[in-house]
This record gives sequence, C-alpha cells and structure tokens, in this order.
Amino acid sequence: MTTPATAAELRPSYRAAGLTALGVLALYVATLAPSTAMWDASEYITAAYTLGIPHPPGNPLFVLLGRVAALLPFGGVAYRVNLLAAACSALSAGIWFLVAERVLAQWITVGWVRRAGAVLAAVLSATAFTVWNQSVVNEKVYTVSLAFFAVVSWLTVLWCDDPDGRRADRILVLIAYLIGLGYTNHPAGFLVAPAVATAVLVRRPRTLLRWRLIASAVLALALGLTPFAFEPIRAAHHPTLNEGEPTGCTDRIAVACTFSDTTVRRLMANVNRDQYGKPNLSDRQAPFSAQLGMWWWYFRWQWLRDPHGTQGALQGALAALFLGLGIAGGVVHWRRDRASFWFFGPLVFTVTFALVYYMNFKYGASQSPDVVGVEREVRDRDYFYLWSFSAWSVWAALGLVALWRVVAERAGRTPRWMATAPILAFGLLPLVGNWRAASRAGEWATREWARDILNSVEPYGILITGGDNDTFPLWYAQEVEGVRRDVTVAVTSLLNTDWYPRGLLRRPIYKYDESAGPAAYRGRSWPMPTRPIMTLSKAQLDAIPDYVELREPQLFEQGGIRAVVDPRRLEFGVPLRSDILVLQMLKDNLGVRPFYISRTTASYAESLGLGAYALVQGLATRVSPVALVANRDTVAVPGLGFLDVPRTTALWREYGAPAAIIRRGDWVDRPSAGIPALYTATALVLAQAAELQGRADEAEKMRGRGIDVAEAAHITEWFVGPSTDVPLPASGSDAPRGTALPARP
Amino acid sequence: MPRTTHVAGPRAIAARVAAGTLIAIGYIDLARGGTVIAPVALVIGYVVLVPLALFAD
Repeated sequence: MTTPATAAELRPSYRAAGLTALGVLALYVATLAPSTAMWDASEYITAAYTLGIPHPPGNPLFVLLGRVAALLPFGGVAYRVNLLAAACSALSAGIWFLVAERVLAQWITVGWVRRAGAVLAAVLSATAFTVWNQSVVNEKVYTVSLAFFAVVSWLTVLWCDDPDGRRADRILVLIAYLIGLGYTNHPAGFLVAPAVATAVLVRRPRTLLRWRLIASAVLALALGLTPFAFEPIRAAHHPTLNEGEPTGCTDRIAVACTFSDTTVRRLMANVNRDQYGKPNLSDRQAPFSAQLGMWWWYFRWQWLRDPHGTQGALQGALAALFLGLGIAGGVVHWRRDRASFWFFGPLVFTVTFALVYYMNFKYGASQSPDVVGVEREVRDRDYFYLWSFSAWSVWAALGLVALWRVVAERAGRTPRWMATAPILAFGLLPLVGNWRAASRAGEWATREWARDILNSVEPYGILITGGDNDTFPLWYAQEVEGVRRDVTVAVTSLLNTDWYPRGLLRRPIYKYDESAGPAAYRGRSWPMPTRPIMTLSKAQLDAIPDYVELREPQLFEQGGIRAVVDPRRLEFGVPLRSDILVLQMLKDNLGVRPFYISRTTASYAESLGLGAYALVQGLATRVSPVALVANRDTVAVPGLGFLDVPRTTALWREYGAPAAIIRRGDWVDRPSAGIPALYTATALVLAQAAELQGRADEAEKMRGRGIDVAEAAHITEWFVGPSTDVPLPASGSDAPRGTALPARP
Repeated sequence: MPRTTHVAGPRAIAARVAAGTLIAIGYIDLARGGTVIAPVALVIGYVVLVPLALFAD
C-alpha cells in the first residue's frame, strides 16, 4: 500500500493548517483567563505593560512582544497579554499540522485522511493539559518558546526535504537567527539546536565544512541575540520592574554609564541567571529516577487532569494509552519518514530526557505524596515540559493514525477509512477530559486577592510579603490596574538582593485615593509621607552584608517596641540582609507609615520577636507601635495572635476573592491552595468572634461563607470543626532570589 | 551539489534596509524612554523584517 509521496502529496496544506490554528485559537479564546493568575503571570503581565524587566534572564523578546500585545485596542491589559500566549500556541498547533501531514504523506495516499491525521496532531498537542492551561493565561514565556520550536521545526523539515535546494542555505541561516532570537525569549530557545544539528549531520554532513555558510549562521545567531541590548537601555530608565537592574546608570541614561563595566557585569549576571545559583549537574537534587518520575507524573496530567485525585485509574489508563500511541508514532515516524525523524526524534529526546537531567529538579510539589522527608519544588513544574508534551502529542497522533490504518485495512478489501474514522475520537479525549481544569474562563480570584490584601493595609502603609503569590499579583494590581499604589510592597526574598532595595528607595510616593479605597478608611485624615521608606542612602544600602553572624538574641527597641530578635527563630539561624532591612524599615517608619506583614508569611512577625505587637487586620498583620492587650475588639486567638475584629469584619465585607473562588468552583493549582485557605480561616475566626460577641446570625453567615470557599477550593479536609488553627498558606517563592544566601548553619 | 554564494536581490536588500532602520528607530526611541514606538518598531524589525531579509530572494 505504500508508495513514495508525489510532489502534490508533499505540497503543504497551508490553508488547512491556518484554519486548524484558527480553530485552536477559538478554543483558547473561549477558555481564556480574563485577568491575571497565580505565580509568575502577574509579574510577566506587569513587565509587558510597563516595559519592565522581569526576573533573570529578563526575557527581552517576550517583554517587547507582550508590550505590543498590551497595546491592542480591546479587552483589559491582562486579557490582551493572555491572547499573546493563546496566539503563540495556536500558531504552534498549525505548524504541528504541517509537520504531521508531511510525515503522513510518506505512507498515506488519501488526502483527507492525511489532513484528518494532521488535525488530530494539532488538536492533541493543543489540548494536552499543560499546553492548554499555559495557553489561556500568560503565566510564563514558554508558549512563545513553543512557537519558536514549531517554526524552527517546520523550517528544518523543509530543509531536510531539499538540502541542496535553492533556498536551503537561507533556511539554515534563518534557523540560526531564530534560535538566537528564541534565546532572548528564554534560554530554552537553544533546546531545539541539538535536533537541528543532528538533522544536518545526518542529512548532509558536508554542510558543516562549508565555512562561509557556517560563518553566516553564526552571525545570524549573534544578530538574533541582540535584543538583549534592550535590557541595559530600558533598565537605565528604572522602570517599576527592573529586576537585576542591569545598568550602571544610577539616575538617568547616558552613554558612559550604559557602556560601563557595571552594566556589562550586571547584564551578564542577568543573562546567566547568576541570582539563582543552580547546583552543579553532578549534584542531583533528587534521584534521576525520581526526576523521570516527575515527568511521568505530569505526563499523566496531560490526557486527563484530575486535580483532586478522584479518577486515578482512568488517568493512568489514558496515560498508558497515549504513551503507547506516542511510542508507536515514533516508530512509524522512524520507518516512514527518516529524513524528518532525524530532527523530530532528537527534539523529543532533548525536551524530555535531556531536559529532565538538565533541570535537576527536587521532587515535584504534588509528586508521590506518599514519599515524605524529601525536599520538594515549591510548585508543580509541569510547564517546563510543555514542549515535551506538545511534541509527544504529534507522535501520539501519528500512532493513532497508524492504528486507524490497521483497522481500516482489516475492515475491507480496500481501506475503509470513513467507516473506521470514529477511532479518531480517542484523540478528543483530552479536549473533553481537560476542559474543566485547563479552562481559565471566568477566573478573577487572583486579581481580587491582590485587591483584598492591598486593601487590608491602611493608606501609605508598608506591606512585607514573602514570595510570588503574595507579591506579583500586588504588582499587577498596582502597576496595571492602578489599585492602592500608595502601599509600598516589599518582598523579603528580593530584599536579599542588592538591586531591589535600591528600587524601593526610588519608588515615588503615590497619593491615596480615598474614593477607591475600602469604607473602613473613609472619613479620616491620612497624611502623605514625604520621605522615602528608608533613611539609608544607596551606598549604605549596598554596604549591608548578605547576613550577620549573630548567634545571640538581640534587643530591637524603637518607640514603644521592645522586641527580642532571636536568631534561632529565623529561617536561616542568622539575620539575613532581608531581616535587617525589614527592621530598618520598621524603625524608620514607626509613626510615619503603618507597617504590615502579610499573613502569607506565616510566623515571620513572631520570628522577629514582634508577636506581642502583631495585630491581624484582614489578610495582613499590622505591627502596632505598642504592646497589644486583649479587649472586646482585639481578641487573642490561639495560633493566630491578636485579631482586630471590627476592622477585619469591615474588610471582609468588601473582599472580592471569596465570591470569585466560589463562582469558579475549583482551585486546580494545589500548591497555591493556601490562598483560599486563608480566606476560610479568616471567615471562621471572625465567626467565632461574632459568636462570642453575641452576633449569632452574623457568625453563622460568616462561617457558611468560609465553608463555601473551602468547598469550592476542595480544601475542606484542611478544616476540621471550627478550629482556627489552620494551615496558613505558603506564599511560594519560585527560588531563593537572594544572592549568596548563607548555608543553614 | 556545490552552490555558488547567494547574492541578495532587491527584495532582500529592501528588507535588510527596512529591518536595520526600524531596529535603529526602536533602540533610539527606547533610549529616549519611549514605550510605544520602541517595542512596536523592535518587534516588527526582529520578528518580521529580519526573517524576511534572511529568506527573501
């Protein structure tokens, strides 16, 4: 039945691929997040909107693309940037159509059958859970990388078809340029390079001896890397997000400081991600088998995301099915189209096994929950394998078409393609099974969470946060939506760097807008501070060490506060730069600015010896200038500390996240489920307080609301009875952001 | 089959000039603090015109 593909059969169906991409885009738009989301989404949306610099390596190409997306004349800013993710993934799906069709042309002679198989590849790759879920909110830069992978894949396939053709050299030079350009979106851009090199080596090895071509490719690659120039130029203007501060300019841009050693050093530190201090590859953070197990854990998610573990058997069966189909597809690819296999096979290997080895992750946040006593990633890292799952889907589609062919041929003397086509319905299983979990339509909870926590802080207050989820959404709310810009957010993980405190000093003081703030703050006078949040100069700031070798308790005295800072209660056993700066800010602002610590930092106030001064007001804990005494309104709650009942009750009435969580009816990302837990905990403790104060109706209403949130987020098992001693959320820091954090003594 | 060195045609030259011009405009505007023209010019330059310049006859 197999005949060599004719020229007509090899002609790509660009129109059909385009229509398929549009179909995928329609699916993504239907399930698109209207606003921001947890983890890095807010950081990247804010960076795009403000043309800022997100965390290293700074992703300049993404920022430029995101900024252009943010300029679109419809929808909200977050929606527009989310559309960028959707468009990139839809483009990738269209290209996977072309790649699959090209492979199928070698052994399927019926045109519509080839196209049906190609559509299957596009749909499967687009609806694999992680691809879909990352395509409906711009959480990371990985969908842009996926688009680059797909474009490079198609160009490589074209080159393999005709390595001596008229355009062959230009294709290779273009590929080199795109690999360089892709790197400026994310270092993963280089992951496609080994596959291209393998294809060239196998298909036409003498290409590597053509030095003029190689020189052109190297130049093109270097040209592709030039968007990194964006970073020092933009950083010199000190945008709100200026992570790594890759500039030597302190006040304004100038030629001398832009072309200075400091700029080069800081830029290279950003590009090389020095801040993260990744361990040596030989120093495995978990056994390689466990790291492969992590890939498999997330592979299971792709075909049926089961966030609450209620369909484990079905999920396992589907994972086995798609693993088998993918292997079959790989074998068929090898046997039928060796030319493109020598690209695609190494690509799958690189973005799967090689990436697992290179990333060297700890155990996944949700992986193998029965394994205890091991270090875990702070969140699930399935997004790092988005390219793996996307490419695997193409092979799974090829495997399914191979199965279809067997069934069709056995059904009659001539293949009965149409009669046996229902077998392709297997390829729609992820579309159906993942819809609820992958869709982010109507997700407003993160935006509301950001507003709620900012509104927990009195005008002109300082809010100390601990990680990603209690910081990035606040950046988004302030810088994109203009919410409560009067509040200064200071995150401890970044206070350990040298550049972040300098940025805090530069931050202007914004006027509090009483009409947009909570009712609890109306009708009072809020004097606007006139001095920066720290009295230290930039030079003094830079002189603060990474940590102080202090082993004995020290007394911190300021105004009415006498706090004993016991290093043994601090996370690292010694005060870090961040701890010193937090105390400095407290010292400089007592009586000037209200000082708060986010409740997501768990016991940070206590670890600084401030427990007797910590007053919970809504979602934040205010550091009182005098020791607190329990009374009717200030209630001492075991496990929580002092609670300002009237203020917290008033704030609770205006919080938007509980309704948003209940409307959504789920909280798929389990590592951040501490956020809804915080709302439930707050509601339950308020209910207790109301009950004690004889407001039984209100208590019942409050408790019901808290339980509704817990049920919607599937965390009711975290709350047994009306106890307030509940697990508080981890704010989730993606990585230690500090430079040279001390080893735990 | 050995090939001769590719000589850029008028379309490729036009695309190169346009790409270079737009990228230069983008960086100049960026250095001046621009946040609208700069990203648009740089994106068109890097993502559209340079690939066109490298691929065009």
